[in-house]
Amino acid sequence: MDFRLGEKELALKEEIRRFAEVELPPDWRRSTPIDGECRDFEFEISISKKLAQRGWLVMSWPEEYGGRGASLWEQTVYEMEISYWGIPGAGMGISGTQWVGPCLMMFGTEEQRKKYLPLIASGEKDGVWCTGYSEPNAGSDFANLQTRAVRDGDAYIINGQKVWTSAAHQARWCWLAARTDPNAAKKHQGISIFIVDMKSPGVTVNPILNYYGRHHFNEMFFDNVRVPASNLVGEENKGWYHLMQALAFERRSLAPITYGGFKRALEELVKYAAQTEHEGKPLSQNPVIRAKLSDLAIDLEVLRMFAFQIAWRISQGQIPVYESSRNKIMSDEVMRRVAITGAELLGIYSQVDPDSEWSKLNGTIQGAYLGFPGMAIAAGTAEIEKSIIAQFGLGLPKSY
Amino acid sequence: MDFSLTEEQEMLRILARDFLAKECPKAKVREMDKDGKGYDPQLWRAMAELGWIGLIFPEEYGGMAGSFMDLVVLMEEMGRNILPGPFFSTIALCALPLFEYGSSEQKTKFLPQIARGEAIWTFALAESSGRYKASEVKLRAVSEETNYVLHGCKLFVADAHVADYILVAGRTGKGKRTEDGITLFIVDAREPNVKMEAIPTIGGDRQFKVSFDRVAVPKDNILGKIGNGWDVVDFILQRAAVLKCAEICGACQAVLDMTSSYAKERIQFDRPIGSFQAIQHKLAGMLIDVEAVQYLLYQAAWGISVGSPSPWQISAAKAKANEAYQRICIEAIAAHGAIGYTMDHDIGLYYRRVKAAEFAAGDTDLHREVIAIELGLS
Repeated sequence: MDFRLGEKELALKEEIRRFAEVELPPDWRRSTPIDGECRDFEFEISISKKLAQRGWLVMSWPEEYGGRGASLWEQTVYEMEISYWGIPGAGMGISGTQWVGPCLMMFGTEEQRKKYLPLIASGEKDGVWCTGYSEPNAGSDFANLQTRAVRDGDAYIINGQKVWTSAAHQARWCWLAARTDPNAAKKHQGISIFIVDMKSPGVTVNPILNYYGRHHFNEMFFDNVRVPASNLVGEENKGWYHLMQALAFERRSLAPITYGGFKRALEELVKYAAQTEHEGKPLSQNPVIRAKLSDLAIDLEVLRMFAFQIAWRISQGQIPVYESSRNKIMSDEVMRRVAITGAELLGIYSQVDPDSEWSKLNGTIQGAYLGFPGMAIAAGTAEIEKSIIAQFGLGLPKSY
Repeated sequence: MDFSLTEEQEMLRILARDFLAKECPKAKVREMDKDGKGYDPQLWRAMAELGWIGLIFPEEYGGMAGSFMDLVVLMEEMGRNILPGPFFSTIALCALPLFEYGSSEQKTKFLPQIARGEAIWTFALAESSGRYKASEVKLRAVSEETNYVLHGCKLFVADAHVADYILVAGRTGKGKRTEDGITLFIVDAREPNVKMEAIPTIGGDRQFKVSFDRVAVPKDNILGKIGNGWDVVDFILQRAAVLKCAEICGACQAVLDMTSSYAKERIQFDRPIGSFQAIQHKLAGMLIDVEAVQYLLYQAAWGISVGSPSPWQISAAKAKANEAYQRICIEAIAAHGAIGYTMDHDIGLYYRRVKAAEFAAGDTDLHREVIAIELGLS
């Protein structure tokens, strides 16, 4: 055993800190990763390009695709630190860097790799992706998706509707799950993955505002959209198995991202507690508050261990199965607890609009409070994740 | 980073699991609940022969020169099997500080005895408040010629009735801090003026009130430096917290395994209850708790193993373990239904031991405080 970070990881942490100091405006205020809305796309893309120039954006990819062959340890530390400092741009089209790229390396064609991977690695607008999974009748029951892809010569014709699609309004490409065989014996057996150019005729994107008015996700309509057959990813009708891999990549990245951002939030709460008086004493001396913040620190540490444990499993050549779901649940739990405990500390100020000058801690806590219920649903609800753990981690029978 | 155990550690785990399953079945655990001694001397000797008792002593003291991490692996298995007896008291609470702070005479005299399974030790710290705080150490120790004379009373002393020696924290003076002026004494448990009264507990373990009525202890029997005993207490509490955490981790894993197996076998509504999400989600929560304890434990233990213990990582592990053990047992009983509430079922054996484990080497509040200070909550 060894629980130290290596020299490379420690050096990287320091480099990212310096990057944040130099590249972010002094009043840069986003300190939790779940604020939801990208407010200045041009600025975020400019940072994205700088991250790419540093060789960080897709650091764990091989050099031929624009990465630098970094270990998953470095990748994990990078995600934690980027999130800690609130550096934007890393999550631009998070689909591309976190799962489209790795999936194309696993089961894309050489032509697809050569075309799309360098674009993602560049940090340019043309490397931004969205992911078309959920539909009105395919949420947790994702295999029930109805969007159709019908072969027509050297192309597929796509018709259907997607919903809750993050960043569809910014993306150049869509990683789309569609049904290619409606007569398959089981519904998950007739699904395939396609790369869709968002500029194709017949693609419509409409914003869906979340309950606090931010534009993060969208609904998408595909009306006879013609996609070249060469944009099929992996095997036709085997998309479900590829998608499970993609979801595992997605869920892996959640723990380090949550850890970094919420570690920062905890540190801010500790400072706030020390500087805020209640009945003649700083809040930090209140035993209830001390106990709650300690518990938060413990769960953050659990999240950190879980994040690195997955990196270790992968470094051993194993494929984590239930661990990604475990990390997703722990990640949501940390967000929920920081939001609720943080709001308790802020007291009456927890209701102030995060953008208002009345807001404490730059609105971090209200952002978390408003955002965490949504984040807990994205990429799989707690109920679905727990069922995955029961089935694959404990070998219990399928429950649905 | 590396989360893997060594091959030797994996082998020790398998050996310990098999040995304990065979030599200490739950029938024996139940028998020991009612036994006068509370442990099986024959099994104790067998463990000594396997080299487990002296596992981490150097060979010159009759040990196997194992690492702290090896001990963690062994104690996880002891916890999994809820091995009754004074292993934790003897090794975690006494032998480790003896090795670290003992004079060479003390080590030569006491450690080989312990390794051979011929001496049982325990540690007496808490007094009437039941708290492990320096300010609560009030037992008086007064210098008289070549002796110190101990007068006072200790509570919740584990396994005192079978102990040959008791490590006692007494007050020899006062200083600026409440930690100053505390000294640790090695006391012969058979001294006539050492009196014991059992404190019956819900756990089937053995704890005692131990009174010291003007007990003379030779000055040679001071462990560490006079007045600096709290440093030794800190050392003990940190190591013991991690080792208790190892026992808890094994116990939690056992409870999860038994509940998961039961959920696959028990049929209701013509289906295994493990196919119901209400049961699945309980079990998934239990698994997350178990793994949280496990990795916090390994990190804290690794720090000790390489000579740089992290107090806050240790406290994080123990605080989490305390809470998780209780939660896991309660969820497990619920998942079992009424059968889990019976004397015949094993879950109760674990649940009844939650509180003893929680208060050994620091309760949750104590460990949260360590973390609060580390966070900078002043």
